[in-house]
Amino acid sequence: MFRSLQYDDRDQVTLTINGWEVAAREGQTVWSAMAVNGQVETRRAALSGDARSAYCAMGVCFECMVEIDGLPNQQACLRRVSEGMNVTTQRITEESEADDAGL
Amino acid sequence: MKADVLVIGGGIQGCATAFHLARQGVSVIVVEKDYAGRHASGVNAGGVRLLGRDMAEVPLSKTSMEMWQTLDDDLGHDTGFRRHSLINIAVDDADLGALQVREDKMRAAGYTHERIIDRSELMDRLPHVNPDCVGGVISDLDGYAIPYKATAAFRRAAEDLGAQVVESEEVLGLRRIGNVWLAQGRQHRYEAETVVNCAGAWADRIALLIGDNVPLSHAAPMLMITARMPHFAKPVVGAVSRQLSFKQFENGTVLIGGGAKGFADRANNRTRLDYSKLAAACRTTAEFFPIMHKASINRMWAGLEAYMPDNLPVLGPAVNAARAFHAFGFSAHGFQMAPVVGQVLADLVTGGHSRFNLSPFRIDRFDRKVL
Amino acid sequence: MQAFDCAIVGAGPAGMCAAIELARAGVQVAVLDRAPRAGGQIYRSAANSPVPDVAALGADYAAGAALISEFEQVNLTHFTGADAWHLGDDGRILFSHEGNTQELRCREMLLCPGAMERPMPIPGWTLPGVMTAGAAQVMLKSDAIVAEGAIFAGSGPLLYLIVAQYLRLGVPVTALVDTTPRQHYLDAAPHLLRALRHSGQLRKGLALLREIRTSGVAIHSVAERLKVVGDNKAEGLRFVAAGRQHEITADTVFLHHGVQPNLNMTRAMDLDHQWNSEQMCWQVSADDFGQSSIEHVSVAGDGAGIVGADGARAEGRLAALNILRRLGHLSRAERDQKAVKDLSVLSSIKSFRRFIDCLYRPTDALRLPRDPETLVCRCEEQSLDDLRKGFDQGAQDPNTLKALTRCGMGPCQGRQCGHVVAGLLAQWRDEHPETIGYYRLRSPQRLLTLDELSRYHTVQVEAAE
Repeated sequence: MFRSLQYDDRDQVTLTINGWEVAAREGQTVWSAMAVNGQVETRRAALSGDARSAYCAMGVCFECMVEIDGLPNQQACLRRVSEGMNVTTQRITEESEADDAGL
Repeated sequence: MKADVLVIGGGIQGCATAFHLARQGVSVIVVEKDYAGRHASGVNAGGVRLLGRDMAEVPLSKTSMEMWQTLDDDLGHDTGFRRHSLINIAVDDADLGALQVREDKMRAAGYTHERIIDRSELMDRLPHVNPDCVGGVISDLDGYAIPYKATAAFRRAAEDLGAQVVESEEVLGLRRIGNVWLAQGRQHRYEAETVVNCAGAWADRIALLIGDNVPLSHAAPMLMITARMPHFAKPVVGAVSRQLSFKQFENGTVLIGGGAKGFADRANNRTRLDYSKLAAACRTTAEFFPIMHKASINRMWAGLEAYMPDNLPVLGPAVNAARAFHAFGFSAHGFQMAPVVGQVLADLVTGGHSRFNLSPFRIDRFDRKVL
Repeated sequence: MQAFDCAIVGAGPAGMCAAIELARAGVQVAVLDRAPRAGGQIYRSAANSPVPDVAALGADYAAGAALISEFEQVNLTHFTGADAWHLGDDGRILFSHEGNTQELRCREMLLCPGAMERPMPIPGWTLPGVMTAGAAQVMLKSDAIVAEGAIFAGSGPLLYLIVAQYLRLGVPVTALVDTTPRQHYLDAAPHLLRALRHSGQLRKGLALLREIRTSGVAIHSVAERLKVVGDNKAEGLRFVAAGRQHEITADTVFLHHGVQPNLNMTRAMDLDHQWNSEQMCWQVSADDFGQSSIEHVSVAGDGAGIVGADGARAEGRLAALNILRRLGHLSRAERDQKAVKDLSVLSSIKSFRRFIDCLYRPTDALRLPRDPETLVCRCEEQSLDDLRKGFDQGAQDPNTLKALTRCGMGPCQGRQCGHVVAGLLAQWRDEHPETIGYYRLRSPQRLLTLDELSRYHTVQVEAAE
């Protein structure tokens, strides 16, 4: 279970993680905001669809790729939270079909 | 080392030639200066394309396309071939006009494998295409294969039939003495009745050793591939009048080509990329398929490829020496031709002739021209 | 486009020390680093720590704050949030900054890409909840976030440091599962005498171990056959120690068995590399001053071969001295005279490292997977068994194996599987890793959005003063 050692709530921003609205400290990484809120599943593995989560937290494993504001392949451990950001677990596997193009 | 035939170059043409020769019981050695499939054969875009071929190439390409359909079974190894069709997109009436001219020409020659499609069929086959597009042309037999796998499949099939592949073996010298060719490699010496030059971007050097001159140039066509995306395009995609070319593989990755060339440094066995041209290819791709705005590029690279002044290969016998044959200079569209090229060379080596008209591909076709 | 005398990639201890030296000599220096502030991994957030009780992180970390402050006072151009994705041997650097690619040119290039943790492909290592000990450090330093009740497994100084930091901060630790084999203590003993030249570090290390031992945390020594249990997430760690099997429950397992250079930058530049058989990893071939096989490209710090933070500082300064010579600010004699002290510091650090490297040498059992199902390539989900099949089909070097199986083709671009594949191929071919080689790497060094590259031609580089 991840928890923060900080107790004050200065400089907070609000973002959405997998549909849940959460508060985070400005400048915090997206991954740590996910971790303290119990949303540790960052992506699904490309072939098996197995759940994956951050492994290195420093940008070298690419396990923490999430979708941020609809854009996939964003490394949650390197991106920083911002007001109104929408973060979702990335679910692109070999089986994924693109939605109707809406045309 | 001794064999009936020495094939110089372990790319897909050389491996396919070895396969067809070995299948006819001919003993063959392939020498490769790096490893089999190291250059253009292993790192190309994998397009298996009959659509839009130069008229001179159509008979060969058409036969090759038929061979691709059963190639995995014939080789007993996986080439990754998928027949998902190829569509060239038309963006306006001028494009449609150009397609009509081409179709008339093809029909007059008796070819029916290219078919013009209207906007609604285009949207049906490529639902994510920019709706401003007006139609296109399709070839149903076309598709893609995995370049390295396909080259390795030919190589392994040849080896299964007794062919030998010697890697890290550069040919330093080649002489014809009496009725044999003597080749000096970095590691071994070779003796063979016949040599076949499939040396790709280095084929002009081998041609010189054989005794033939050829105006070959080099370039480094660039490619980039994305991280996996949700499936949005099954056919291979091109455009009539724009530098658009991509395919989405079954694993979801999207390979973007388009013919942009980087910098070829043949002396150092290297290439360099021209990022502003790759940027242009990105813009074109997203313009045609807005979903590509969500793409992330994972790798970019270029392969060393040999070009002829008319973008047609050299295929046929040497003119200044006996028992020597050439197959190179495919000018960035030789991958699809490999199955038939191997067949043609095997026929030339064993029987002295091919059922195809090879005159457009003679090595001396530029001898009297000022280029 | 901006041009600089020297561009330094990476603002860890090596990059900062080099930059300070160069800037003070009047050289136009650009420093590129991905983080919002300098520090690298080791001194991450040291100058603005969010941890309430920062003293718990130790004196070495505190020393980082002083270096950062010194670095921030010299006159240079520091591109923060700058992620270099192409480094050309023509002196061109392309880097992402706030979603756009910028470009600069430099006469001299100094690469300080730092270290990453050696992957530990044990069964279950891809389950959510399994992270590296370095990840625990990163989360603590940058965001003051900790995992309660975690298991720490493996061996090496970094593992013991984070356990001690957790304990000082009052964070409960479920267990320390130490995999250091008994034989390693005997193997390391002959190096102990020379290691004493650097006795400060040795004392610190011993104090750390004592601190953990007296804390009451459960310690399992000489642990073997580690396996993370759990279906969709980590639920605990199974291992054998003291002759019997243990299974400890925890939702977070931190793994560690040493660090290795973060190679992608130096490999993509085609610098010559060599196998370090003491540290069991590739490193850049460079002279005493970090000059690589490309004259105007130098390397310093852990990214060039593991030396630790103090070693990185010395290497950064040495690289700077040589760059000053190359730029005409120093004669060779002046460079050599100024280098004496750092060369001697480095030599004593290296004696100490030999002891540490021997004591905490990664075991084959943890370095290379044993179970056929264990994934080697996390991105493309290629298991030991898949790779062996590819090998048996004739793909016997890293690049052909990659082309055939897709191992190493995913977004991490071989960072996680590269050394494992080289190790497996060395074993299967019964040849030295030097003969096996490594993946051929190219730009971009990490995923680049299509939109960013699309905008490449319009980008104007502005001064970042």
